[in-house]
Formats: sequence, C-alpha cells, structure tokens
Amino acid sequence: MKAIRKTLFLLAVPVIVFAGTIQAWAAGVHSFKVDGLACPFCSYGVEKQLKAIPGVRGVKISIKTSTVTVTMKNGAELTKAQASRAVKNAGFSMRNFR
Amino acid sequence: MKRIVVFSITTVIAAVANLPAGAAPITTNTALPVAKGEYVFREQIVFNQSGDDPSGANRDHNVALSASVLGYGVTPDLAIFGVLPVAYKKLKLTTPGGARVTRKDSGLGDIRAFARYTAYKKNMPGQTFRIAPFAGIELPTGENTETDALGRLPPAVQLGSGSWDPFGGLIVTYQTLDFQIDLQAGYQANTKADGFEFGDVARLDGSLQYRLWPAKLADDTSAFIYGVGELNLIRQEKNRANGIANPNSGGTALWGLAGLQYVTARRIIEAGVQVPLIQDLNGTALEREYIVRGSVRFNF
Repeated sequence: MKAIRKTLFLLAVPVIVFAGTIQAWAAGVHSFKVDGLACPFCSYGVEKQLKAIPGVRGVKISIKTSTVTVTMKNGAELTKAQASRAVKNAGFSMRNFR
Repeated sequence: MKRIVVFSITTVIAAVANLPAGAAPITTNTALPVAKGEYVFREQIVFNQSGDDPSGANRDHNVALSASVLGYGVTPDLAIFGVLPVAYKKLKLTTPGGARVTRKDSGLGDIRAFARYTAYKKNMPGQTFRIAPFAGIELPTGENTETDALGRLPPAVQLGSGSWDPFGGLIVTYQTLDFQIDLQAGYQANTKADGFEFGDVARLDGSLQYRLWPAKLADDTSAFIYGVGELNLIRQEKNRANGIANPNSGGTALWGLAGLQYVTARRIIEAGVQVPLIQDLNGTALEREYIVRGSVRFNF
C-alpha cells in the first residue's frame, strides 16, 4: 500500500508542476526592467501603477536587478505600451519588455 | 527677547519644509518622484532645545513641533505638497526684578503649500539623477498676536509670523542601490505683518544616506536601513520692527545631523539628532543646543 501511495505521489508532483506552468502560461507572465529604481519606497509607485491596469493579478519587484514580473489573470493581456505608460507614470523608464 | 527669534523661525522652516517623497533626507528635500495619482504622507515630531544664555536672563527655550505633510503626484514630474504644523512653544526667563517667568503658546502654526517639478531626470539601471525646482508660500494661519498676563508674547513664542512668505529653491538628487545624495539651495522671503518682519532665510543643505543593511542585496530584498548624515547651512537676515533692524537677531549656523532610516515599500521610519557645529549669531542671540527628530512616512 505504501508503495502505491509513493508511486501516486511521485506521479502527482510533475503533474502539479506542469499544471502550474500551464496556468502561468495561460494567465500570461511578463517581465521587464525598470531604470531609475533604487530603493524600496519608490517601488510602490511602480507596483500601484501596474496594479491599476485591468487584468493584472500580481506584481513582483526585485530592487536588486530592477526586474518587474507581472502576472495576468486568465485571458487578460498586458501590452508593452500599457507597461511602459505605467512605469513612466511612476517616474521611471522601462526596457526589455517580455 | 527678540534676540531668540532667529532660532524659532529657522527651526520651523527646517522642520516642515522637507518633502516626504522617496527614500529621502531627514532635514531637507529630495527630487525622487511621487508617482502620478499617488499620495505620500509624513508625520514628523521635532523637539528643539536652546539655552546657555549669555545675557544673564537665564533663558531656556524649547519648541515641540508636529508637522504633518501630505503630497500628491499630479503628473510623474509635478507634485504638490501641504504642510500643517502644530507647535508647543515655551520660554522660561528671569526678569530684571529677579522673578522666574514662563511664557508659552500652543496650536496651529503657519501652513505651507508648495509644488515641485522635475526639470531633468536621467534613469539608469539601479540609479537615478534628478534636478527639481520647487516654489511655494507660507500662509499666515498661525496666531501672531497672542498675549499672556505679561502682555504680548515675543515673536519666538508666537505660533505664526502673520505674513505671506514665498519661498523656493532647487534640489539635486543622485540615488543608487547603495547610497543617495541630496543637495538643496533654498530661499524664503519673509514679509511684514503688524509692523514686524522676520529676516529672510537662505539655506544650503546636503544629505548622504548610505545603505547599512542588508550589506548585500538579494532578489527578494524589500527593506533597507540607511545611515544618514546631513549638513545644513542656514543664514537669516536681521528681523525688522517698524522698519528698524534688530541687531540681536539673525545670523549664520551650520548644523550636522546623524540618523537612521528603516525603509520599506510602504513606509519609512526614521530618527536623527541635530547639533549646531558652528553658530555665528548677531548680537547676544541665544544659542541652540540640539534638535531631535523622528518621523514616519507612508505612501498610498
């Protein structure tokens, strides 16, 4: 019985990981660089501007690498122009949108 | 008693003029942005102690001040600010007759409103350089004709100047992931009210904020602790009463500040102690001893 459980568990792990990847892909994950960002307090302005865009589910900012990762809700899409405007409204500059 | 006016007015100016935007200096301003549609709020508590009276009146003067600052980003480059100061001022002195008296007042001071525009900015990976002029006015909202049992309070104890006083200046900011430098030149033209005019104030300010923690940044770093060192060179002209300059008012002082800031995405908590490094005051003005500052900032 233990062996069956172990086998099921080992099979479930990659399925869950794969499903998560598919979900992220389907939802849309974008990343880009924000020039000028150099402290935590300023990052809130970027986060607030991006979260105001319809369809944005989450925003993650790495101050160390000036990288912003935006996760979209299912079916929603983030355009380069939207992201650039949001970053500009926060007082910074965007590059390397993906 | 007018001799102590010099430190009273410059204390208020130094305490309430600084913008709450970005990781910022404690006593002066920054050119870092306020995002469009974003609010920033700062509540600063200041305690200023002066004594060591050379005049023989054994004067002891202190001011406790609460300054609430609200800023709003109109555009990515234009931000507007309002400053609401509430002060408690107390002056103890020995009269020529030998009596020890206390004169005090508390309440709303002079509200300040101003705008800052980012005239130049260069954003680079992990760093930014900005130049921003600012201009505003100090409104006569604080009472300037209060009296007590001894008569009209001296200007140093009054809560306001009674006058409309324009001010302006230029801020230069350079920020990297490791440190931030802010430089400011400012001027306030004080005008006359009820026959009295505070001397104009010119100032040069410099601030260095250096990241102490974390020593090395990680991908998930979301908070900094800065060590803060600042210098403020403040020059105030002589006050004038009915057109006559008071020889015991005005002067030049160089201040130094050491402080700490804890900075996160939503708030800053900071504290610092300021001491006069050089005081070259006119006449027998009462010298200042120290200023303690603490504040919190939020953005929303």
